[in-house]
Amino acid sequence: MSDAAPTTASTGRRRWPKRATLLVQYLLLQPFIIVLCLVVLRIPPPEPSPRYLVTDFSLREHGVEQPVTLPHFTASRYTMNDPPLYSGRFTWPATWAGGEPQGAWSVLLPRFTNGVEVAINGVVILDSRRNPAANRPDRNAPEIAVIPASLLREGANDLTIRLFVWGPIRGFLDRLYVGPDAELRPSYDMRTLLFVTLPVVFSAWQAILAVILGIMWVMRRHEPAYGVLAAAMALGVAQAFLQTPLEDSAFSRLNAMLISAAPLESALVLTFALLFFGWKWPRYGWLIFAPGLVVAAAGLVGDATLSRDAFLLVGAPTVGLCLIALTVVAGHSVWRRQDAASVMLGCALTIVLTCWALDLLSVLQLVPSRRILLARLSYSAMLVAIGAALTWRFARALNQVDGFAASMVTLVREAEDKLKASFVREEERARAAALARERTRLMRDLHDGLGGQLVSIVALSERGNAGAGIGDAARAALKDLRLVIDSMDDIGGDLMLALGSWRERVTAQLRPHDIALVWRAVGPQGLPVHPELRPWHVIQIIRLLDEAVTNAVKHAGARRITVSIETSVDTQGIARGRITIEDDGKGFELATNGEAAAGQHAARGLRNMRSRAARCGAELELTSDAGGTRVRLTLPRRFPDSDAAAG
Amino acid sequence: MSVLSDQGAAQPISILLVEDDAPTLWRLQDALAKAGFHVTSAATLAEARASLAQAGPKVLLTDLQLPDGHGNELIRETRLRYPDTEIMVISILGDEESVISAITVGATGYLLKDAFPTDIAATVRELVAGHSPISASIARFIVRRTQSTAEPPPGPPLNTAKLTPREIDILWGIAKGFSYAEIAGHLGLSRQTVPGHIKNIYRKLEVHTRGEAVFEALQQGLIRL
Repeated sequence: MSDAAPTTASTGRRRWPKRATLLVQYLLLQPFIIVLCLVVLRIPPPEPSPRYLVTDFSLREHGVEQPVTLPHFTASRYTMNDPPLYSGRFTWPATWAGGEPQGAWSVLLPRFTNGVEVAINGVVILDSRRNPAANRPDRNAPEIAVIPASLLREGANDLTIRLFVWGPIRGFLDRLYVGPDAELRPSYDMRTLLFVTLPVVFSAWQAILAVILGIMWVMRRHEPAYGVLAAAMALGVAQAFLQTPLEDSAFSRLNAMLISAAPLESALVLTFALLFFGWKWPRYGWLIFAPGLVVAAAGLVGDATLSRDAFLLVGAPTVGLCLIALTVVAGHSVWRRQDAASVMLGCALTIVLTCWALDLLSVLQLVPSRRILLARLSYSAMLVAIGAALTWRFARALNQVDGFAASMVTLVREAEDKLKASFVREEERARAAALARERTRLMRDLHDGLGGQLVSIVALSERGNAGAGIGDAARAALKDLRLVIDSMDDIGGDLMLALGSWRERVTAQLRPHDIALVWRAVGPQGLPVHPELRPWHVIQIIRLLDEAVTNAVKHAGARRITVSIETSVDTQGIARGRITIEDDGKGFELATNGEAAAGQHAARGLRNMRSRAARCGAELELTSDAGGTRVRLTLPRRFPDSDAAAG
Repeated sequence: MSVLSDQGAAQPISILLVEDDAPTLWRLQDALAKAGFHVTSAATLAEARASLAQAGPKVLLTDLQLPDGHGNELIRETRLRYPDTEIMVISILGDEESVISAITVGATGYLLKDAFPTDIAATVRELVAGHSPISASIARFIVRRTQSTAEPPPGPPLNTAKLTPREIDILWGIAKGFSYAEIAGHLGLSRQTVPGHIKNIYRKLEVHTRGEAVFEALQQGLIRL
């Protein structure tokens, strides 16, 4: 992140207008989303036919009786004793107009806070406090109870409802319905699905994601964002599934912890967003957890009343603060990263924030409402969406890893091949370097020792007339020494470089004999380059050529020697070098087997030449007549690697 | 050319011959004296320096392994004091190990110790006429140094960075055994200009001072990088 920053900055300046456009678009989108939310939330939750509506009640509270019309709010209180009592009436016709007997009748309470006890004709048929889901004011849980037929009287029946309220929010009883069970139940089922089952489904999903993200964090400790989100989800799950105890009991402390979960959870989600979008952790960032911890402490130390007050006064604003901070983070991320994830998170947060604001207004009764609280539901849905997006991202990363692995395999294979090739080259080079070093060493040794002594022999032999033969021998020895050293030099497969030195030596050799050397090289290149050419090939070829020249000097009595170097293309289209040495001497007779009939010495020379040519894979062609001798050496297409005839 | 000949006729060309091996010294001295050169001989570095202190010779011929030092020191000193003196190395094998190091301090060619007397005299005479001889093996060594390699090749250090592509082409021709005329033909040059190019090559390979040597080594190192 940090090392990518300079590039982002430089490209950012260039893309300024584009960024600004995106941000403006994003900001314009948010009011639209808010309006859309408001419109959608105005759709009333499912209700049965108004035929069965019962709204006129008499409320007795604190010993005072007054007529009321539902929906009705009562003051908040902190005791279960002497709850507000609503008394009403409804009419039960034993038979319908057609004379058919009635089916079962029910009482449907679509919404109430926080608990109800319903009695028909003085007999209690429902106590919502036994239903954990109904005890959660944030769940909007409805209740339905079938009225036992034996309780019903034809005509007017009494309906009494005790509304249990535990602070700090005010008690609420929505309009209720009494009618045939078949008519009322679909609405109840629909509401249960929306406000009870769906949160449970989301919570279950959240639980799974908490486990997945937790494992991901354990395996990837360097990405604490996942761990934080896993903790937030775990808290959310705990909050959703743990029950709300009503009386002071062994679980009331747990109750307090449960209530405090929402501010802590929102702080965790904010932490996740900061980490995920690569923010630097603010210096006093940990303070965001303080309200949640205060609420938790209030729940642990104080009684239920204190913890509920703490929640409403500290917890709910903290949730709001975290949501606002989250929208700021998301907005900044839209500006900086310009990616779809930031935009989507920002929009989701706007929805949650809108729901939260509406809930707050509803609880504080600042707007007329039926107290349907949706912040929790929208928040769970958002978290699940975040978790799903992260899992999707993770799966995509795995795919990328697979692709990367596949390309790595290819790359490694290519690198291996290259390495092999370069290893061969390196070996070749190292061999050449070793040879060159060895040659340098040998040269120094010869220079200091044998060479100097041979030169002295030459010098001494010239002082008296008798030593001419010795001088020649010494000179020949020196010449051979130079050949050996010369042929060890790395000539890069270009035989012409060896022939260049050879030409100098032959010129020097022929000068005292007054024999002319005619050198004919066709073209500046002369001979094809053979990368496989080794020093031992060179030495064989040069010695072979030396032998041919020596024969011409010693035995043929030639006055002129012509060396021709050319390259011809053979039948297979491969360029082959050819070196021809011709003299104008008297020639020699070749026996039927190709051996020279003349002189033992010359015969041995010719045999040597053939053997040398064979060892290099070259073809030797000898022709001789009275007009002179011609030695033609055709170089092989490829010089052999090993000296087959050696030994 | 004619001026040189006239001078040669009026006053014999002076040669300082430095060689510690007595038979070789006699042999070379004989060969050169018979050809009409005025030869002063020295067997050690000290003798050679004493001789140089009196007068600068036209030609200096020196062996490299001397009893009291290396011939390269003598070549460097002579090159500094008498820039007009032609310098040649007397070598046993004509190998690059000895010849190239001498070229870098100012020598322009070598003489083989076992060369025939006529060849010895002819070589010196050509040198005086302005033709610095260069052998195929030395040319080969130089051109192979011009080819880039990963690590410095063995042998004496040599800076070929100053050589022009044309000069390198000429060296290739010599290394492959072509005559000056053939090289001139291949490269589209006049035959007479080839010796001048070779002289330039020698001058460019010469390292003038110690400081310059270090600088050039550095420069070459940078080029190799």
